[in-house]
Amino acid sequence: MVKSETNPNISLQHESAISHVTGQSAYINDMPVNDQMLVGKVVYSKFAHAAIKSFNLDKARNFPGVRAVLSVHNIPGANQMGPVIHDEPCLADKVVNFAGQAIFLIAAIDEETARHAENLIETEFEPLEPILDIETAILKNSKIGDEKRIETGDVDKNLQSSMFQISGTLRTGAQEHWYLETQSCVCIPGEGSEMMVYSSTQHPSETQAIVAEVLDIPRNEVTVEVKRMGGAFGGKETQGNHVAAWAALLADATNCPVKIHLFRDDDQIMTGKRHRFISHYRAGFDADGKILALDVELNADAGAATDLSLAILERALFHIDNAYFVPNLRVTGQAWKTNLPSNTAFRGFGGPQGIAVIETVIDRIARQLKLDPARLRQLNFYQTRQNNITHYGEEVENNRLPMIFDKIISNSGYFRLREEVEAFNQKNEFYKKGLALTPVKFGISFTTSFLNQAGALINIFRDGSVVVNHGGTEMGQGLHTKILEIASKELGISHNQIKVTATNTSKVPNTSATAASSGSDLNGMAVKTGIEKIKNRLLTLAAELLSENHGGENSSPENISFKDNLVFDSKNPDRTISFRDLISNAYFRQISLSATGFYKTPDIHFDKIKGRGRPFHYFAFGMSVSEVLVDTLTGYHKILKTFIVHDAGDSLSEKIDIGQIEGGFIQGVGWCTSEDIKWNEKGQLLNHSPDTYKIPGVRDIPLEFHVELLKDAPNHSTIRGSKAVGEPPFMHGFSVWLAIKDAISSIGNNRFEPDFQIPATNEVILKSIENIRKKIKS
Amino acid sequence: MAPSKSGIAFILDNKITEIDFSANDSFKPTTTVLNYLRSLPGHKGVKEGCAEGDCGACTIVVAELDGRGGLAYKSLDSCLVFLPAIHGKQLITVENLAIKKGKEIKLHPVQESMVKKDGSQCGYCTPGVVMSLFALYKTHQNPSREIIEDSLTGNLCRCTGYRPIIDAATEACGLDGRDHFSENEEEIFSTLQNISEDKTSIEIYNPEQIFLKPFTIAEAIRLRKEHPDSLIVNGSTDVALLQTKKKILLPKILDLSAVDELKLIVEDHSKIAVGAGTSMEELLQFCETRLPALATILKVFGSLQIRNVATLGGNIASASPIGDTLPLLLVLDTKVRLLAPGRQRELLLSDFITGYRKTSIEADEILALIIISKPLKNEIIRTYKISKRKDLDISSVSACFRLKSDKNNNVAQIKIIFGGMAATALHATKTEDFLLGQSWSRETVEKAMEILYHEFSPISDARADEESRRIMAKNLLMKFWIETQESKNHSV
Ligand SMILES: Cc1cc2nc3c(=O)[nH]c(=O)nc-3n(C[C@H](O)[C@H](O)[C@H](O)COP(=O)(O)OP(=O)(O)OC[C@H]3O[C@@H](n4cnc5c(N)ncnc54)[C@H](O)[C@@H]3O)c2cc1C
Ligand code: FES
Ligand code: FES
Repeated sequence: MVKSETNPNISLQHESAISHVTGQSAYINDMPVNDQMLVGKVVYSKFAHAAIKSFNLDKARNFPGVRAVLSVHNIPGANQMGPVIHDEPCLADKVVNFAGQAIFLIAAIDEETARHAENLIETEFEPLEPILDIETAILKNSKIGDEKRIETGDVDKNLQSSMFQISGTLRTGAQEHWYLETQSCVCIPGEGSEMMVYSSTQHPSETQAIVAEVLDIPRNEVTVEVKRMGGAFGGKETQGNHVAAWAALLADATNCPVKIHLFRDDDQIMTGKRHRFISHYRAGFDADGKILALDVELNADAGAATDLSLAILERALFHIDNAYFVPNLRVTGQAWKTNLPSNTAFRGFGGPQGIAVIETVIDRIARQLKLDPARLRQLNFYQTRQNNITHYGEEVENNRLPMIFDKIISNSGYFRLREEVEAFNQKNEFYKKGLALTPVKFGISFTTSFLNQAGALINIFRDGSVVVNHGGTEMGQGLHTKILEIASKELGISHNQIKVTATNTSKVPNTSATAASSGSDLNGMAVKTGIEKIKNRLLTLAAELLSENHGGENSSPENISFKDNLVFDSKNPDRTISFRDLISNAYFRQISLSATGFYKTPDIHFDKIKGRGRPFHYFAFGMSVSEVLVDTLTGYHKILKTFIVHDAGDSLSEKIDIGQIEGGFIQGVGWCTSEDIKWNEKGQLLNHSPDTYKIPGVRDIPLEFHVELLKDAPNHSTIRGSKAVGEPPFMHGFSVWLAIKDAISSIGNNRFEPDFQIPATNEVILKSIENIRKKIKS
Repeated sequence: MAPSKSGIAFILDNKITEIDFSANDSFKPTTTVLNYLRSLPGHKGVKEGCAEGDCGACTIVVAELDGRGGLAYKSLDSCLVFLPAIHGKQLITVENLAIKKGKEIKLHPVQESMVKKDGSQCGYCTPGVVMSLFALYKTHQNPSREIIEDSLTGNLCRCTGYRPIIDAATEACGLDGRDHFSENEEEIFSTLQNISEDKTSIEIYNPEQIFLKPFTIAEAIRLRKEHPDSLIVNGSTDVALLQTKKKILLPKILDLSAVDELKLIVEDHSKIAVGAGTSMEELLQFCETRLPALATILKVFGSLQIRNVATLGGNIASASPIGDTLPLLLVLDTKVRLLAPGRQRELLLSDFITGYRKTSIEADEILALIIISKPLKNEIIRTYKISKRKDLDISSVSACFRLKSDKNNNVAQIKIIFGGMAATALHATKTEDFLLGQSWSRETVEKAMEILYHEFSPISDARADEESRRIMAKNLLMKFWIETQESKNHSV
């Protein structure tokens, strides 16, 4: 099916491309199970905060077709599904802490029956005062975790002594993942307490752990399998666990297979989002626009439980510098507890919220000093020999910023565009153009160092066909395709000889989430080490076989090569044996054709107390330039042009990397522009379906769209010189965001700082324009 | 009693499929085509992403008699369509596109291009995207980017960023539009014609649900009279949500979507008469040159999938404050014709709509015709819609302006109607009064904007807040003024 064979010049298409376009790709909701399968339904709270005074499940339980109705009292194990901190009940106990929190579970023969049963449940609530925003949480000192802080230099002194100072507040909004496939899981009970879990999860090992915990069984009774997800973006890193735990409880209680596939609105109401932030900043700078000191306080809305909030906040602190060297920098961060669903991982994982702050600071400095913002960015970039240590003490090695800057300036014709934009704005009153260049430097690795490990299992069968299994999950990002590419190159055999099978906890145990953009870095390396083990076992045999029937010197194991489905002696290339024959021989010689691989990222560490260390294995870089047209009367904008230059090292698959860059960029644009989330005064989500929650559509992409991978920039000590590419491109959306701001600013000839935030919806744009027009008049 | 039947017939997988609802307990007459297909072993490619017409994951294509001796291929959202709506049509799903010969798969050109151009990542939106591309393939050759985008506004993809999908469309639709469906067309055509020749109404009387589907106006009004408590549906893009989202079982439905007599557009020198069953897409095609102000609004009405089934009658009869055609139709003093057995009446649209989702329709009437008076030569009419996302979104504010100025450039007549600013589409009477007789100048307009800002008390909701709506409303007046000055016109 896959065409490119081992030709390195042809980039491999997605391994599932053909099954996708023919509708054959199966997702959890498409699985044929048997007619005993029950539908699972989650009954959740309408209250953001309330005491559960009493409930009665009898009527629901007695309704024909209902097989189980469970409350917190029916959980055999722990009532807990928090991934790191155990502060998240599986089912509400005495109190509900957000609208959307699970209280009861129903298993019934079909949807309709389950819905009827839900209406028969009687519950008495006593509403309590909810905390619905960060401001109120701060007032009430409703915290999650301690304050985090990273500091370098003398911030206070340098702020005071700087020639110029600015201060302000930036609000960045929540974002719904809007994976096309909502959260789903099928659990099939087996013999004894065995539980087979088919889950749409980015983290099978954790799903396994949580299912084991709620059922009070050891992990070896639980197998979790993930074939593919219909999108995840971080939303299934921890919150896929919830659906699995609920389905497992119902399957255990009924001894039948149970499927939970959340309805879209329920998914949006029940699950966490990207963290909202309110960030306060003060910056000091000189007349050239060099930032001398920066002081930032980040406040994250964690929602009702910890989930991954502390790691997300930490990443925001790490990325407060983005691509800029700030000699004196202090960043503090606090996560706040509110009565909303627990916010969770989302592409960028706090990075975007941090980066948005410093990009705002730079943008403001440029406006105040009347300097070109791109030049000002360049002036503040990390350098290569000096001024290249981050606020947490890691050196910015192999800094690609200067290279990328030159490239994107010339690709986009930035300075010519700038002139054109100004000329246009002089001539037009109601339509304004805006232009912005934004960089990204993104740290790659889980910042919790021990998570940077991965495993793989390689099995070669007697016919020479290979199964590769690894701990990473496929959510559309093309991980399996990259792994296929790696395995094919390492084994020297065609793609169609290799199958990357569904991720399964019984094949590769104790894995980390497929997250932090690290999927191919970690799992690719693990696969490589596994393959190397088997190859090493085969070398002596191969040398022996290649020496047979040949006169002269015997072939030696260290000269054996694997390529083009052949195994040969690189010294005597005419001595060859097919891979398949070698494997067949190996079997008869009783050589093991199965091996595990393991990898851990070397040399990374971070001291959370001191705020110092080397948390990242390396950095990924990129830049984008966008030009937009804003209709100042409707608040509509159109992206006229976007240029992106992105560093993916020696790309493992150019097609897949470009797909990640474009898709990430558009998702970033969505967060920055149209994806608006509102709650009512009771804490109920208003935008709970695509009717009112607007992710970008086909007409929201740039009219002209140029994406280029940085050439000749191999990475060091990663799989085949590649770089992670999942998250960093999300930040390219900032070029659109700030181009819109640039257009607004031009209305007042850049004399007034526009009110701005994320998302810059047309409401925000119109109000900002209105304010500037008022200021011009007065 | 007129003869009736209780089942439907359609083509799926090249075979006639019949479902008799009186004898079938797996499917109700209001089972959606999406749920029906997903219950079959071979059609799980069609996906549910939202159950409300907003994502396109459920897109399928129907081929139907086009009334001109051929077949028309239309994409639609199968999550919003009840089974009886596909009676007499060919249902085409993603599984039908490729040809399998043993182990070999021959992909359809749109599939081939999607693979080549990397149009899928997670794959969940892909079957829907492929079907939209297939409909485009069958209807356009070398389509412009605008047409490609228009046929994809109804498909959300969270992974790819769309560029590769546009590229796939460009490549695939550069071909001649022929495929294995072209080869079978004659046979399909005659099968569909056979099914459609029988004009006996479908009448399903099940214990929980009554579903009536007439094919003629005469039958429609007969059934309406017999079942005055029935809920009329046409495209069902509004009604279906009661079931798919609110989970209400609709007890009694009168489906007018197969009454061809209600699908017409006739024009004379002063009027355009549109049958209530005319789809928004057909209306759009008609209006582009004949009534551009309506085309402006229809271009950003839902998505192609929605416009292919949604009707003008449905838009008017739902009497929603954000019904996008209403401001213009009200400004044009549109009349509606209602039919009942033995009588008919015509009344102004402004009298037909009586309140928030309320009309003055009688229990035995159906809305048959919408009669639009054409604007006069010396008038300027413009329509506007502002929503959070430009496409496939409901208006935050919509508006229509109609201006006649005299030779001194004074306002001789002005009508301004807004949608989204109150419980129904409403005249900005204070602003109109102020403008009347004034010079049509920027100064006047700026003063009028102040009045307009305060004229309504709109609500804050998930789409926009009160303040934004006020700003949008007044800005649209300025926008209109600018357009009357024929200044440079960039579209955003
Ligand atoms: C995703 C999506 C996007 C949408 N986008 C838009 C948009 O951009 N702008 C907009 O204005 N609307 C939009 N709508 C709403 C809806 O599509 C329109 O109002 C559409 O015109 C309704 O037509 P229909 O034929 O589908 O109506 P139906 O759902 O069939 O009926 C709607 C109402 O009209 C009544 N009715 C229909 N026909 C008759 C008749 N002949 N006689 C008497 N009563 C009748 C029905 O009883 C019902 O109350 C959207 C809907 C969806 C789901
Ligand atoms: S399921 Fe989303 S449009 Fe039908
Ligand atoms: S490919 Fe994942 S949503 Fe389109």
